[in-house]
Amino acid sequence: MAHALPFSLIRWLVVVAAMLVIGCTKDPLRPPTSRPSLRVEPLELVLSDRVESGEIALINTGEAPLPLRDIRIEGKDWQAFVITDSENPDVIPAASRASVHIKVDADAFQTHDEHGRTIDVRDGGAALTFEAAGQAVTVPVEFHMPSIWTTWVVPALAKILLLVLLFIMPLASLLTWAERRESAMMQDRVGPNMASIKLFGARIRAWGLLHIAADALKMLFKEDFLPKRANHVLYSIAPLLAFMPALVVFAIVPFGDGLCYEHVFDVVSQADVDQCVDGRGGTALQIAHIDIGLLFYFAIASLAIYGATLAGWSSYNKWALLGGLRASAQMISYEIAIGMTIVGALLVYGTLEPHELVRAQIDTYWGIWLQPLALILFFTAAMAETKRAPFDLPEGESEIIGYFVEYSGMRFGLFFLGEFIEVIFAGALVVTLFLGGWALPFDILGASGFSSPLACQAFFFGAGAILSTLGIASWRANRHAEGFGALVTFFGLLHVFVAIYSMFTGWGTEIPHLVIVLIGMVTWGVKVAFMCWLQLLIRWTLPRFRYDQLMSLGWKGLLPLSLANIVLTALVIYFLLSGAEVPSP
Amino acid sequence: MTIGVKKVSLERNPSDQMFLPAVVEGLVTTARHFFKNTFGEGQTNIATIRYGEPDVNTKDYYPDRFRGVHRLMYREDGSVRCVACMCCSTVCPAHCITIVGEDRLDGYEKAPKSFVIDELKCVVCGLCVEACPCDAIRMDTKEHMAPVEARAQAVLGKVELMARGGPSVAVQGGVAANYREVAPAEDPRF
Repeated sequence: MAHALPFSLIRWLVVVAAMLVIGCTKDPLRPPTSRPSLRVEPLELVLSDRVESGEIALINTGEAPLPLRDIRIEGKDWQAFVITDSENPDVIPAASRASVHIKVDADAFQTHDEHGRTIDVRDGGAALTFEAAGQAVTVPVEFHMPSIWTTWVVPALAKILLLVLLFIMPLASLLTWAERRESAMMQDRVGPNMASIKLFGARIRAWGLLHIAADALKMLFKEDFLPKRANHVLYSIAPLLAFMPALVVFAIVPFGDGLCYEHVFDVVSQADVDQCVDGRGGTALQIAHIDIGLLFYFAIASLAIYGATLAGWSSYNKWALLGGLRASAQMISYEIAIGMTIVGALLVYGTLEPHELVRAQIDTYWGIWLQPLALILFFTAAMAETKRAPFDLPEGESEIIGYFVEYSGMRFGLFFLGEFIEVIFAGALVVTLFLGGWALPFDILGASGFSSPLACQAFFFGAGAILSTLGIASWRANRHAEGFGALVTFFGLLHVFVAIYSMFTGWGTEIPHLVIVLIGMVTWGVKVAFMCWLQLLIRWTLPRFRYDQLMSLGWKGLLPLSLANIVLTALVIYFLLSGAEVPSP
Repeated sequence: MTIGVKKVSLERNPSDQMFLPAVVEGLVTTARHFFKNTFGEGQTNIATIRYGEPDVNTKDYYPDRFRGVHRLMYREDGSVRCVACMCCSTVCPAHCITIVGEDRLDGYEKAPKSFVIDELKCVVCGLCVEACPCDAIRMDTKEHMAPVEARAQAVLGKVELMARGGPSVAVQGGVAANYREVAPAEDPRF
């Protein structure tokens, strides 16, 4: 059992521990450069016709009280903005905050016709100015009218393209390869590694990654078979009905906090991000920020049953029909368990909106700590929803081939790919509900940066150690992967250098917004990829259930347990966390 | 005789009924294999010999008696050992060997004018090697017939077969022509 990975990991952990001890015991060798002791949150207040008033927090981070003078609104549209506080603060005590509330008169930006109808709205802005400790400070205050194009359609399309083209589709096709390769690694086989392409005279194999392209080509050029007595219309649209819901439900998955367009290189605060999530000066990193998010998921996910059932029915094949019936019975049974397990999370976090759910997890504790039973139940039921082993009764390749027995070519490919997209979605949902979405553990990364330089060093050392260990391992394990291994190792060492830089300068608590957004998105992606890996591991470890076992697990196992979880959660919330929080009827 | 009903009770302890401990145990096992085989740095459990890889030579792995593509051996002077006796083409169950003989004028009796083996017909039984009286045909190349694009490419002639060949030092007619006379004196079995 002398494999080198644990040893190199242990080596790294020793290095990390030593660095952390040094980081704990030592102050940064060079103190951070002196910054102005006044921090303004948000950097820029953006109001709209929906949100007419906002707050600008002035935070004194210094040691001495900070006198304020001459607080007023100036600028082009100064008439439209009013400071609503009856009395402006004249001094901010040390290490505390004062706030200025501002209200906008939306009518000032609207042009009405003679009937009082709004015919035109323009954007405008002014600035809150004041003098703090003798220095003039200006905070922009804007009125921004959300337009259907710039606020909703274009960002949504951009996010759809980003998520679908850069994450879901690549990961799904990667999973078709990873499934075979991972199973091979688990079973001491080699797996697909022979597909190659000749590029500039060199034969490129890339661990068999080109099997993805080979499979796609094969599916495209295979005969598109139509059973003679099949219902051709339903037969043709069934793959779409199975494939599309799997993609559509991704609309509610948040893959990051919020992106502020104009402050990507600035250090922003949570107040800025919240504003951007609301569509004022930015966008939420989630395709559809809708309040009924999880209900939307239930609605769309149950549509996927139609795909399987109609495929089975329209094929005019008794095995396909059996598969379709099994699929519908199974998915309906397990959907109840899914719904019931989520209720526990809803009770704890009090929201149906996935983005807010993640924020609630960051503010309190992740779902894995508050709802561990729900996590196991939900993960089981979500795996059953994907119709893969050990729940692959609808397919059951040793008994019936399943609802897609008559399908060939790219129509079959849609079922196949749809299944993997469901795998990704199940992983994404587990990450959203229980694993804190885009957040790093222990809330070490806030909107403006790491909570402390130590957290920054821990993160970069940890990431660097993992990356360079993986890189060195793949470098040494596979003689065809030297370039890739070297690249990953280099990337890992880069992280280590950032950590060392942070140790010497105390850098890390103030990071540009864009970097934080990227770290968040990558964290989310890594979590989702890990959940996909785990599902593949489970799929190749456990044997298939018998049909009665499947049903009894769903109805007699998961459902009562999830109901018990609801009752338990409700009781704990009512008695332990002060019943006052429960809204009275 | 009455038919009795034998009741078999399946003992189940709570940890079995919960599934989870057993599931986790199984996952740990498979995950251990996964990590060892993926990042094992040359110490994997994978025993597969990767035939077809550029740096894997099949000849290092095949046993000595493996029957591959045929070859024709030659004498010290480089001429073909085959005397066109037709033994191999006669014994061949697949009729894949075609020999046309011709006279030789250098002291040997005959030689093949053409010696053609259709490797697509060959059933790789090795009978031709057994039948050959003068160690002219062998199948010890440890070579597979490579895939071809036209059938004609799989039909090997004398030149290709001899290109794979080598010198054979076997003596025509066995180790000694007078074996039956001298053997009883030397061999204790006689």
